[in-house]
Amino acid sequence: MTSIVSVHSFRGGTGKSNTTANVAAVLAGRGLRVGVVDLDILSPGIHVLFGVDQDGLDHHLDGYLWGRYPLRAAAREVTPPGVAGRIWLVPSSVAPHDIARIMAEGYDVGLLGEGVRSLAVELELDVLLLDTHPGLNEETLLSIAMSDALAIVLRPDHQDYEGTHVTVQVARRLAVPRTVLVVNKTPESFDADAVAQRVTEAYDTPVAAVVPHSEELMVLSSGGIFVLRHPDHPVAALYAQLADHLVGVRA
Amino acid sequence: MSGLRGRVLVVDDDPVNRLLLRRALEQEGLDVEVAGDGGRGWERVAGGGFDLVLLDIVMPVLDGYEVLARMRGHEATATLPVIVISGSDDRDGVVRCIELGADDFLPKPFDPAVLRARLRSGLARKRLADLEREYREQVGHVVAAAADVERGEFRSGSLDTVAGRDDALGLLARVFGRMAHEVAQREQRLRAQVGALRIEIDEARTARTVAAITGTDYFADLQRRAADLRSGPGRQNGDQQ
Repeated sequence: MTSIVSVHSFRGGTGKSNTTANVAAVLAGRGLRVGVVDLDILSPGIHVLFGVDQDGLDHHLDGYLWGRYPLRAAAREVTPPGVAGRIWLVPSSVAPHDIARIMAEGYDVGLLGEGVRSLAVELELDVLLLDTHPGLNEETLLSIAMSDALAIVLRPDHQDYEGTHVTVQVARRLAVPRTVLVVNKTPESFDADAVAQRVTEAYDTPVAAVVPHSEELMVLSSGGIFVLRHPDHPVAALYAQLADHLVGVRA
Repeated sequence: MSGLRGRVLVVDDDPVNRLLLRRALEQEGLDVEVAGDGGRGWERVAGGGFDLVLLDIVMPVLDGYEVLARMRGHEATATLPVIVISGSDDRDGVVRCIELGADDFLPKPFDPAVLRARLRSGLARKRLADLEREYREQVGHVVAAAADVERGEFRSGSLDTVAGRDDALGLLARVFGRMAHEVAQREQRLRAQVGALRIEIDEARTARTVAAITGTDYFADLQRRAADLRSGPGRQNGDQQ
């Protein structure tokens, strides 16, 4: 039985893809079969974190949406060495003409739902993570609607607060079973507990993790998926905590 | 040209003396103003802007002693160099003037070489006094800047004048200014962070945005199908809500 989890942010640049990749790695590290779909079709990027060379992206989500092949054909295994479980990634095309075509012609959003459900079955996934496009367009609403859990990633600044509130309201109307907030890129000088308390109260929604931001973390994060490279770092424990929230280990 | 620079006031009631001194001083390259009695002389001096005063003793309105006493009692002119113009038979007067704070004396009739030497010496004292005053003022700026830091009112750039010095005080001002600037920036960042944690949401605007998103047929359809979407083949049961 696959649990579908959307990782979303109202605004770009919050660290959504990074969060998705780390949660995927945490769950695979527990022996689970994890799928990741890059739904950020207009600005794809999560493949980089999994070490996928963009020159080799011949099968992708865009091709599935144009009816060229089933979504399973676009899924490639990206399980890092030494991880007990498995990870498959469905990337989006990074070719400018593909992105331009998607922007110009659009696609049948309904296909996304079908593809995701069949992918979950075919790969016998325990968890399928959807790395959504910022904002709330139709495909993002669909991915939220079909999700068992939703992680909304925000940065602690005014530009994110209102959009996050909108997303929380919309998720409630779609009756998403579990919605959590991830406060990302939090200045180190902030008190994490105080941030969590304020954000929880402001949105009446649990905060699963307050992830700090510092130059040191930027350097450590630049090499790929953080939890794999620095499993003993306190930030790795925060991603594990987030994963617990998303798969229902914590309420 | 002797290369002397400065503005000199000649206070003397004897027009011939005034004329001779003016010519001699101008020949040395100095700017010269004259006053014909002690009263006018004091007015001019009190108006400021002079580097040196040549002061006769016996004059109408105010004599040289009174002018000198007023000058030394007035903060702005307390250290202004004064050379007393005296006759050769007026030794007691010169002594009294020096006791009152005169810096030097020039016997009449004056010798140009002696005059030049007295002027050079007096103007040098004035320059030193100016430098000392400026130094004290600039030390005062640094002290005031420290008080501003304490009150959280330090403005970047307020020490630029002092920091431009090439001596130890300039170094102190530069280092202090940099540190104060860093402190101010850190405080500003902290204030911004405190502000960032104040979560203010415009409920009406948010409600409009939510209504725009959820008011579509697409959303209504999605709402109806959400449970089914979460409970399809291979999915968890959609009964967790």
